[in-house]
Amino acid sequence: MRAYELMTIFRPEMAEDDVKKELSQVEKALTDSGAEITLSDFWGKRRFAYEINHLNEGYYTVTQFNAEPGALNDVDRALGLSDQVIRHKFVRPE
Amino acid sequence: MSPRRKNKKPRAGTRRRAPERGRRRPKKKTCYFCDQNQGYVDYKDVAALRKFMSDRAKIRSSRVTGNCPQCQRKVARAIKNAREMALLPYIKR
Repeated sequence: MRAYELMTIFRPEMAEDDVKKELSQVEKALTDSGAEITLSDFWGKRRFAYEINHLNEGYYTVTQFNAEPGALNDVDRALGLSDQVIRHKFVRPE
Repeated sequence: MSPRRKNKKPRAGTRRRAPERGRRRPKKKTCYFCDQNQGYVDYKDVAALRKFMSDRAKIRSSRVTGNCPQCQRKVARAIKNAREMALLPYIKR
């Protein structure tokens, strides 16, 4: 198992409850692929440092979890295809 | 030094030494992240990372900041990660 951290940016038009619903779906997808979530943090709406796709703000969420290497491939692809997610990033904190 | 000796030609033996007189020796800088959190650099800590950027949002060199080589690499990596997530700017005009 390795420690990972996922940061996701959701679209600003969404309602806050929808974002949280969406986030719990992402977490469910992670646990389904064998991950143990250790921390889930909802930052709320935050301004971007620069414009992304003509948007200036978005909902930031941070999730920390332990997972086997390679278990993230499906989640990574799903997040990339999702319309609600502007950007996402997996990081391994050392 | 007495004023009379000020314009005296330097002797042959002392010529090769660096001109140390009159130049201020800069204070020895210490590595911020080694001191603060055992060398762990978090890309989410925007306020700390901004200390290592110029006002044009460029990454400052370790020569300026005094970071150790390991921390400088981590800082650069963290700033680049933060830029990808729009936490820090790429350029500022």
